[in-house]
Amino acid sequence: MLDIQNLQANVGDKQILRGITLKINKGEVHAIMGPNGSGKSTLANVLAGREGYTVTGGSVTFEGKPLLDRAPEDRAAEGIFLAFQYPVEIPGVSNSYFMKTALNAVRKHNGQPELDAMDFLKLIKEKAKLVEIPEPMLSRAVNEGFSGGEKKRNEILQMAILEPKLCLLDETDSGLDIDALQIVAKGINALRSPDRAFIVVTHYQRLLNYVQPDYVHVLSAGRIVKSGGKDLALELEKKGYGWLEEAKVAAR
Amino acid sequence: MTEKSSSSPAVAGRGPIIDFMDPRQWHSGMTAKEGFWLEARSVDGSSVTLSPEPVKEGRRLTIPQGCQATLIEKNESMRPEPYTTQSKWEIILTEGSKLNHYKLVHEGPEATHHSFLEVDVRKSASFQSHVFLFEGAQIRNTIHVRMTGEDADCLLEGLYVGSGKRVIENHTLVDHQKPRGTSRELYKGILDGQSRGVFDGLVIVQKEAQKTDSAQTNRNLLLSTEAKAVSNPELKIFANDVKCKHGSTIGQIDAAQLFYMRSRGVPLAEARRLLVYAFASEMINQVEVPALREILFPCLNLATSIKK
Repeated sequence: MLDIQNLQANVGDKQILRGITLKINKGEVHAIMGPNGSGKSTLANVLAGREGYTVTGGSVTFEGKPLLDRAPEDRAAEGIFLAFQYPVEIPGVSNSYFMKTALNAVRKHNGQPELDAMDFLKLIKEKAKLVEIPEPMLSRAVNEGFSGGEKKRNEILQMAILEPKLCLLDETDSGLDIDALQIVAKGINALRSPDRAFIVVTHYQRLLNYVQPDYVHVLSAGRIVKSGGKDLALELEKKGYGWLEEAKVAAR
Repeated sequence: MTEKSSSSPAVAGRGPIIDFMDPRQWHSGMTAKEGFWLEARSVDGSSVTLSPEPVKEGRRLTIPQGCQATLIEKNESMRPEPYTTQSKWEIILTEGSKLNHYKLVHEGPEATHHSFLEVDVRKSASFQSHVFLFEGAQIRNTIHVRMTGEDADCLLEGLYVGSGKRVIENHTLVDHQKPRGTSRELYKGILDGQSRGVFDGLVIVQKEAQKTDSAQTNRNLLLSTEAKAVSNPELKIFANDVKCKHGSTIGQIDAAQLFYMRSRGVPLAEARRLLVYAFASEMINQVEVPALREILFPCLNLATSIKK
C-alpha cells in the first residue's frame, strides 16, 4: 500500500529525515518510536503533505502512485488520514458541518454520491458513540474549547467518518489520561481491518498496550535504526532509547 | 437624498439578484419606505407607527420613551455605471428607548456610497448598529454616537468586504458624556484584490462620564498581498474611574487551519471560503431579523466570490 524509499526531508534548512525506507501493507499496524527530535512527527507530516517540509530525496508511492507531488486534499481523498498531535481549533465552523464538507469532498473525488444532511447526521451520530462524543459537541466549533482528550477523540471521530485506507496517528496518546487513552484506543481498534493500515507515531509504549502493533520501528536522527515485532516496544520501555543510539555510534 | 428602487435587471456575471424589496422577505409589521424598513413597539408590546421627519439632506427619527424599534436600511442596486448615493440620518433615542439599526450596502460596481449617521443616546437608552458593507467602488460609513444620558448603552458592529479596487472607510465616534455608559464596538474587514479598508474609530470619555465601560476592536483578514487594511482605534479619556480597552489585528488566513481542513479532504478554495465565512459569520449571526440574516449570507458569498 505505502512504499517509502530513502526518504529525506528538511524543515527549513535543517535536515530531519536522512533516508527512511519502509513498506506498509494492507491490514498492518506499524509503530514508529524514537526520542524527541528523531523525525517521527516529520515523517507523518511529510506523508500528509504539510507545508514547511521540503522533500530533498527519495520517493513515496501510495497504492502504486507517486504521493509526494500531490496536494494534501488529494492525499486525503485517496485515503490518507493524519490524526494531529495538536488538533487545530476553527472558531466559527461547526464540527458536523466541517465533517460533512470533508466527507462529501472525498466522496465526490471518488465518484460517489454526496450524502444529504439527514444521512450524514445519522452517520456522525453513530460514529460519535464509538469515541463517546456527546451530541452537543458535534454542533460546537471545531475543537474550540475542547479539552485535550476531547480533541484527540474528535480526531478519531473524523477518522471513523472518512474511513481512510492509511491512518497516520501522530502522538495521539500524548496528553491523555488513562480513561481518555482507553476510549481513543477502542476507537482505533474498532477501525482496524484487513484493508486498512496504521502508522502509530508515539514516544511511549503506553498506547501500544491497547493498540498492538505488528511491527515496531525505532527512529533516531532521521533513520530507522532498529525494526522488530511488538516485543521491541517493551524492550524500549525497559531500556530507554540510549542503547540504540550508543549501538549506532559504535557501528560507525 | 438620493435613493433608488431595486427593481433593476440582472447584470451579467453578478450572480442571482436578491430581492430586497419583496416584503415577504421581512417579518410582518414592517413597512417598506424608500429603501428602509421601520418597526416599533411600545412598552406594552403594541405596535407603534413611527415616521421620520425630513431634515436637510436626510431624515430625523425620534424613538419615543420606552419604545423598542428596528430600522433596516438597504442601499442596493445592480446598476453598472458610476453613480453616487447618500444616506443621512439623525436619530434621537429618548429615555429608556431602544433601536436596532441594520444597514446593508450592496451597490453597483462603480458606485460611491456615503452614509452618515448621527445618534443621540439619552438616559438608559440603548442603540445598536449593525453595518454590512459588501458592494460598491467607494463606501464611506460615518457614525457619530453621543451618549448624552446616564446609563446609556451602545453597540457598533460592522462587517466590510473589499475586492477589486474597492475602498471602504469607516469613521466612528462614541462620545461618552454622562456616567455609567457602556459601549462595545467590533468592526471586521475582509479584504481581497487591491482593495483598501479603513477603520478609524474614536472613543471619548468626558470628565463627567465616570464608570464608563468601553471596548473597541477592529479585526482584518487580508486575502491577497495587494489588499490593504488601515486600522486606527483611538481612545481619549478625561475621566479617572473608567474601564476602557481597544485593539486591532490585521492578519491572513491561518495556515494551520487551512492545512487541517485540507488534510481532511476539503479542497483549498473551499477551505478558504469556509474560513472567510467563519470570520464573517460571527457578525451575521448577531442579526436578530431572520429574513435579513438569510440574505446576508448570499450577499457575502457574492462579495467574496468576485475575484481581482
